[in-house]
Amino acid sequence: MSALISLLLFPAGLSLLLQGLAYEWADRKLIARMQNRIGPRWFQPLADAVKLLAKEEIVPQGVNVVLFMVLPVVALTGALTAALYVPLLGFAPMYSFRGDLIVAVYLLSLLTLCTGLAGANTPGRFSVIGATRALTQMFSYEAPFMLALLGPAIAARSWQIGEITMYAETRWLVLTQPVGLVIALVGLLGKLEMPPFDAPEAETEIVAGALTEYSGRGLALFHLGRNVELVIGLSLVAAFYLGGVAGPLAYFAKTLALVFLLALIQTLMTRLRIDQTVGLWWRFGTLLMLGQVLVLLIVMAVHA
Amino acid sequence: MHDANETFIIPIGPQHPALKEPGHFQFSVDGEVVTGASVRLGYVHRGIEKATEARNWVQNLYLLERICGICSHIHAMAYCLGVERLAGVEVPPRAQAIRVLTAELERVHSHLLWLGVAAHEAGFDTLFMYSWRDRETVMDALENLSGNRVHYSVNVLGGVKYDVDEPRAQAIFAVVDFLEERTRHYLNVVSSDAMFVQRTRGIGVTSKEQSLRLGEIGPTARAAGVPRDVRVEAPYAAYGAYPVEIILETAGDLEARFIVRINELFESYRLIRAILGDLPEGPLTVQRMPRKIPAGETISRVEAPRGELFYFIKSNGTDRPERIKVRTPTLCNLASVVALAPGHHLADIPMLLVGVDPCFSCNDRGVILDYPDGEHDHWTWDKLRQFAIDHYRNR
Repeated sequence: MSALISLLLFPAGLSLLLQGLAYEWADRKLIARMQNRIGPRWFQPLADAVKLLAKEEIVPQGVNVVLFMVLPVVALTGALTAALYVPLLGFAPMYSFRGDLIVAVYLLSLLTLCTGLAGANTPGRFSVIGATRALTQMFSYEAPFMLALLGPAIAARSWQIGEITMYAETRWLVLTQPVGLVIALVGLLGKLEMPPFDAPEAETEIVAGALTEYSGRGLALFHLGRNVELVIGLSLVAAFYLGGVAGPLAYFAKTLALVFLLALIQTLMTRLRIDQTVGLWWRFGTLLMLGQVLVLLIVMAVHA
Repeated sequence: MHDANETFIIPIGPQHPALKEPGHFQFSVDGEVVTGASVRLGYVHRGIEKATEARNWVQNLYLLERICGICSHIHAMAYCLGVERLAGVEVPPRAQAIRVLTAELERVHSHLLWLGVAAHEAGFDTLFMYSWRDRETVMDALENLSGNRVHYSVNVLGGVKYDVDEPRAQAIFAVVDFLEERTRHYLNVVSSDAMFVQRTRGIGVTSKEQSLRLGEIGPTARAAGVPRDVRVEAPYAAYGAYPVEIILETAGDLEARFIVRINELFESYRLIRAILGDLPEGPLTVQRMPRKIPAGETISRVEAPRGELFYFIKSNGTDRPERIKVRTPTLCNLASVVALAPGHHLADIPMLLVGVDPCFSCNDRGVILDYPDGEHDHWTWDKLRQFAIDHYRNR
């Protein structure tokens, strides 16, 4: 019974969805303030989600209807499932087993895969290009992002998120692996298609990218999935690099500080072209991260 | 595999977030690289040139002002200069100076607007928000001067309506001081922000010969080193008394276009200060402006923010014009977008488009209807109306 509650209501499930909306608001409000605007009121993301859920879903011609309907659901489900293994709200992860780091990262990628598939499924010009860009981008940041989450895992000698978090609780890994934090944060920007890596959904070029033809329920689910991913990504990065999440206060302080950093990066930078994104990631991201991991392994071997 | 050569065509417009006004561009792409481009205009054609023939000279002033919202004053000024030349009236120098002052304020407003829109197309929303915030100050100055933020309506045939007194002049000085400091910051951002420069340097490179061949005008051509500026070549209104220095760059890429327009902002600030510091005394309009303009033809060339604006005005001696033809600068520059697009990435296309500062409302011409059997026809009003009725009846 308590498992069901923790799955559906708190801290995952409904509470996670609401937390995702709250973090989206924080992100949008911070960006607006930095751009000298006023920004949305606190309930704006909730209002957007409710409105989208109430709108008619228009299924375009020539698309596989089953895929069209199912992909948003799978995307959100993947994101919500990944939450089971992540320390949310300062509590220990609900389920934990050896190797759950890999499972969590894979489930997070499910959203991008679904976006790409959704775009490829639709026979519209903008959707196809958006899908191509989304998948290309995924190929470029996935490796460095994985490595960035791997650094703490190597230091803690474990693939289990719970254990890594416990290991990180006493030491701030950002001090010993600064590159990892930067790559993880920037990788999160890439995963969530936030500026400067929003080429897959570049509004002025391809309207809305892979999700152009989605409206109503499907779009709402994709957006909710993206918000949940934001929360999970931030929780992981805060837990690994910023000294664990001992309790709700520490959790909120650290994740909101990361939201501030994300908003800062989004405001300061221009959108990169997709080929520039790939070049940047494969040249700087991967090499830097490999360098960091190499240093880590050498230091650990020396100490052992 | 290679002869399954279906060109994948991306339609930009008529509804597209990259375009502020409707126009239809078709880019054939191969992956992310553009291989061909074509353009189709006419979506905001309003029949203004025809409408001028049914209105008298004064009414036409207000009609022609509304060809475009961003360059409305320069349209009215070109029209007034032409009509005054036909009528043989000498506009007092104070009026000419105020016309030039408003024209330069409009240029400032237009370039700041363009800076924001161009930044938005690049994905740099912060610059967009900041430059539009600063644009509000010049719009306030224009509202202070004329009562309107858009469509200032400063011109009348034979002079201007509004005077610039001391408080207004001080307000404009304050605006110019503020904007000059902000513009220096934007010049710094545009030329040194590494990620922004990545989107503009080396993109859309046009050599001077190419620019001349494609017929580019305005800041687009000046960015390629073509020294064309009507204010310098053929000074009109008060530009003889307040000469302009031409702003040139040689690189011919998008970054050069940014730099030219921002440097033109500095030049406009200098001009505004010069005019306000040295405004000639005198009346605001001629004593008497004839209602019927003597028969004749004249052309009127002025430098709009986007390039050379060309008016041909023909009078037949009555109180209505015989023919007014307007050739706006965007029409000349659009061909260069279509010619330069192949070889660039898809992501560069909105930047190329915005680099020529398109204003589709200005430039829409008559519509040519292309029948499937290749016939071209001229339609009368009644035929067009019947076509619409049949089309909707048969839907």
